[in-house]
Amino acid sequence: MAFRRDKKEDEDGGNPFQNLDKTAILQEARTFNDTPVNPRKCTHILTKILYLINQGEQLGSLEATDAFFAMTKLFQSKDIILRRMVYLGIKELSKVAEDVIIVTSSLTKDMTGKEDTYRAAAIRALCSITDATMLQAIERYMKQAIVDRNPSVSSAALVSSLHMSRNAGDLVKRWVSEVQEALNSDNVMVQYHALGLMYHIRKSDRLAVTKLVARLTRSSLKSPFAVCMLIRLACKLLEEEGDGSSDNSLFEFIESCMRHKSETVVYEAVHAIVNLRRTTARELTPAVSVLQLFCTSPKPALRFAAVRTLNKVAMTHPSAIIACNVDLENLISDTNRSIATLAITTLLKTGSETSVDRLMKQISSFVNEISDEFKIVVVQAIRDLCEKFPRKHTVLMNFLSGMLRDEGGLDYKAAIADTIITIIEGNPEAKETGLAHLCEFIEDCEHSSLAVRILHLLGREGPRSKQPSRYIRFIYNRVLLECTVVRAAAISALAQFGATCPELLPDILVLLGRCQTDSDDEVRDRATYYYCILTLQQPDLNTRFILEPVQISFANLEKALLDYIQESCFEPFELKKVPAPSVVPNTTTNTLAAPVGIQSEIIPAPVIREESFANRLSSSIPDLSEICGSLFKSSEPVDLTESETEYVVKCYKHCFSKHVVFEFECINTLNEQLLENVRVQLDLPDGYVVIKEISCPKLSYNVPGYVYLLLKFPEEVSDSVGNFGATLKFVVKDCDPITGIPDSDEGYKEDYMLEDIEVTLSDQIRKLNKVNFSAAWEEIDDEEEDTYALSSMSSLEEAVQNIISFLGMQPAERSDKVTQGKSSHTLLLAGTFRNHEDVLVRAKLALGDGVTMQLTVKSNDLTVSKLISSTIG
Amino acid sequence: MLALINRILDWFKSLFWKEEMELTLVGLQNSGKTTFVNVIASGQFNQDTIPTVGFNMRKITKGNVTIKVWDIGGQPRFRSMWERYCRGVNAIVYMVDAADLDKLDASRNELHNLIEKPQLTGIPVLVLGNKRDLPEALEEKNLIDRMNLNAIQDREICCYSISCKEKENIDITLQWLIAHSKSNIAR
Repeated sequence: MAFRRDKKEDEDGGNPFQNLDKTAILQEARTFNDTPVNPRKCTHILTKILYLINQGEQLGSLEATDAFFAMTKLFQSKDIILRRMVYLGIKELSKVAEDVIIVTSSLTKDMTGKEDTYRAAAIRALCSITDATMLQAIERYMKQAIVDRNPSVSSAALVSSLHMSRNAGDLVKRWVSEVQEALNSDNVMVQYHALGLMYHIRKSDRLAVTKLVARLTRSSLKSPFAVCMLIRLACKLLEEEGDGSSDNSLFEFIESCMRHKSETVVYEAVHAIVNLRRTTARELTPAVSVLQLFCTSPKPALRFAAVRTLNKVAMTHPSAIIACNVDLENLISDTNRSIATLAITTLLKTGSETSVDRLMKQISSFVNEISDEFKIVVVQAIRDLCEKFPRKHTVLMNFLSGMLRDEGGLDYKAAIADTIITIIEGNPEAKETGLAHLCEFIEDCEHSSLAVRILHLLGREGPRSKQPSRYIRFIYNRVLLECTVVRAAAISALAQFGATCPELLPDILVLLGRCQTDSDDEVRDRATYYYCILTLQQPDLNTRFILEPVQISFANLEKALLDYIQESCFEPFELKKVPAPSVVPNTTTNTLAAPVGIQSEIIPAPVIREESFANRLSSSIPDLSEICGSLFKSSEPVDLTESETEYVVKCYKHCFSKHVVFEFECINTLNEQLLENVRVQLDLPDGYVVIKEISCPKLSYNVPGYVYLLLKFPEEVSDSVGNFGATLKFVVKDCDPITGIPDSDEGYKEDYMLEDIEVTLSDQIRKLNKVNFSAAWEEIDDEEEDTYALSSMSSLEEAVQNIISFLGMQPAERSDKVTQGKSSHTLLLAGTFRNHEDVLVRAKLALGDGVTMQLTVKSNDLTVSKLISSTIG
Repeated sequence: MLALINRILDWFKSLFWKEEMELTLVGLQNSGKTTFVNVIASGQFNQDTIPTVGFNMRKITKGNVTIKVWDIGGQPRFRSMWERYCRGVNAIVYMVDAADLDKLDASRNELHNLIEKPQLTGIPVLVLGNKRDLPEALEEKNLIDRMNLNAIQDREICCYSISCKEKENIDITLQWLIAHSKSNIAR
């Protein structure tokens, strides 16, 4: 009843729950204690509580517990609606309230009772309140519920088990035979959920998953959802196997699903084939023709799915799509704008240069009618076009600037600005117009974060343009009109002009002088800072303090300063010794988007890698910092064993200014063995000395243990690159696989050969961002030069990538991008050696028979230059 | 004919004099709380009752009185929650296993802890010494001593020795309970 009334109010306009007050409602919740219970009133109050929680209102533990216990009194009412609301309330409050297990008995009664409308909901509520310790008590009920004849009960039990397996995986695993029975169910939903849970139980065991999938692909599942899931599982297996798989039955299964009677399954199969890495152009053709068929379907959802998938395929297999071009052309005029947008952008990707103008005109006719999300799709398509047809940049750039002027959210505007920036970077001809468009944009930009980025870009690119002075007006306008963040950014940009363009310096000084009276501290500080440096008119000061700001992470700086204060403070603080932040590569997560727990867990990458390593090291190795000073660089781990062997050993190399620490992460994969006194023996190259060794006293099954070796680098820098032979030494004790307790105290010694460890140049060099490379290059006189023939390289790009990864240095002035079709290229690299000396490298590359390279190394420390040029040879 | 009129009269009576009472049943685990509820509800004795995880809510009708019983689990983890279900009830029934002498001290402490709670002042307490069919079970008098019931002066307190198995003294227990329903107290 309450619901109906609410609905009416809704229709009248206005949300009846809009102005709810938490305290007042919790007060009302005391009504639950009244006897007799008024179901209608209590339902309404519960609705309000649930609404509040779902709006993100936070309940305190005490508040929630009180409300929860008051709610348990409602179990005396037999009102069906109220009881179901109570279940929902239990689920929501169980996250915050204490002692929620009090309702266990009542819920188990409901889930096994006669009232069918209660049972499924009671199971879900029960699983939300049950912790690992209570699970045993409800196990019997869950097993029964999984095989219950009522599909909603069975489904609820399956899905709840899946949720619970997060905390109590081992217990849920014992229910396999029940799940297996549910998998044979005739009900569409039950079969799907059973497959989901079955996979979840088996997923850590590859062989079992393979068997499961193989068995199910042969039997025909009734539920289309389960078939979709099975297709996804098959894809995952195919992807994991890689190209070397000989077994074609999985792929054949997916192909056969394209003839399934359910459209959902057909689409899933097509989607899978299109996204598989191993799919060849020949295998793709039938999939594309299915999509083509979907394009003419009367159902908008199918058309949308088809065109969206085609849009994706256009990137990987543009030629395969051409057959669909006619159908896509028809979809441009589709009444559903989302479909039309995707159709046009797909055509843009596959079309020829001549069709660009026509298609762009088409888009502009309806771009205002589509949502931001799809506008971003359009923007991305334009970006791809610019890379493909650089000559079209004027048309595209005009279009983009038009879009910039229209209304739109931050994401959309940022996407446009990004695109313009990429175009500027990739195409020098477009630079002036692009900057002009951006200048115009910041004149009226409501997103300060975007304005700051553009101002930064103007500061970097503006001074090097043909006519730097024209940008000054735009930038100074920001100082006059905008909020503090933008004003501060504008001042930094102005200073860049002052430092780079001597002819503009007097004007800039006048402008900065005016800014020194700004109302905001930060803006004033920046103005004063830049004004002082610029008035000195010393180019090296300009370079060091304006053009190339300090590159350190603040967390590292804070830590270094704290350490410094705790020491004696006799020596001046060295900014150079602060570890630089290293770029952590984004771990690409599994892209298989399945609804029920297929996705592998995403492990968040540590934000400040160096610092976490430093902490770990100093806690494992006593007096590390006294011996070595602060950590210079940690390299990516190297596997010293094959991945599926008895013992898995990884090596992290941590480089200090005069020392190197090898950290061996060892995992024992044999559950009937216990390893003791685990250490690593190295064959040292000349000059290396072992200072300290920390062995791992005990290595039990599947628990990583760490062995550390602290070495001193050779006195001669030129000896520091070398190979270390390594052997794992330990004492083996046989043990009980379950308890891990050794059978006897006697063990036997054993050796295990590891792969060699290499200390390379890149381990000892840190990337350094030099904005003004040529100035830095001129400052150093000593140079080391040599010519090399890189016969194994077939292209300039390959050579550039190899040199960068070999030296571990940062490319400057975007010299890592090789212009297409040229036969020579100059690569500029900058880095810092472990003794905190800067190293600059210029590599002139020429493509002939193989690649020839003339390499010039400059550093204040000649031995470092020598080391680099000798190692490359 | 007369019988019919009488029944209609009874029905009218029950319509106007229908009484309701609420009571909470607590006590250590395995003292026989859930068994007791089953016995007064249906007269059935069941040897293997499973431990109550949380609470059971039962409505029992005796004559024109409807009794709502909150039967709360007796395991240590639930004892802190007893108080929440005792607030505002007509009576607290405290079940003791009179034959388990080792647990009597613990039982006494829990009872005294419970009734000290300020929210529960004045609520009548009925202590039931269950399992009198067992040879080692304590007599009412001894139970009163061991439970130190004489120390409780601020409320009505009563103690019976019962057996759910043999259904001994269940009738006087019910009489006591019905006498404490709302309207009877008011009278």
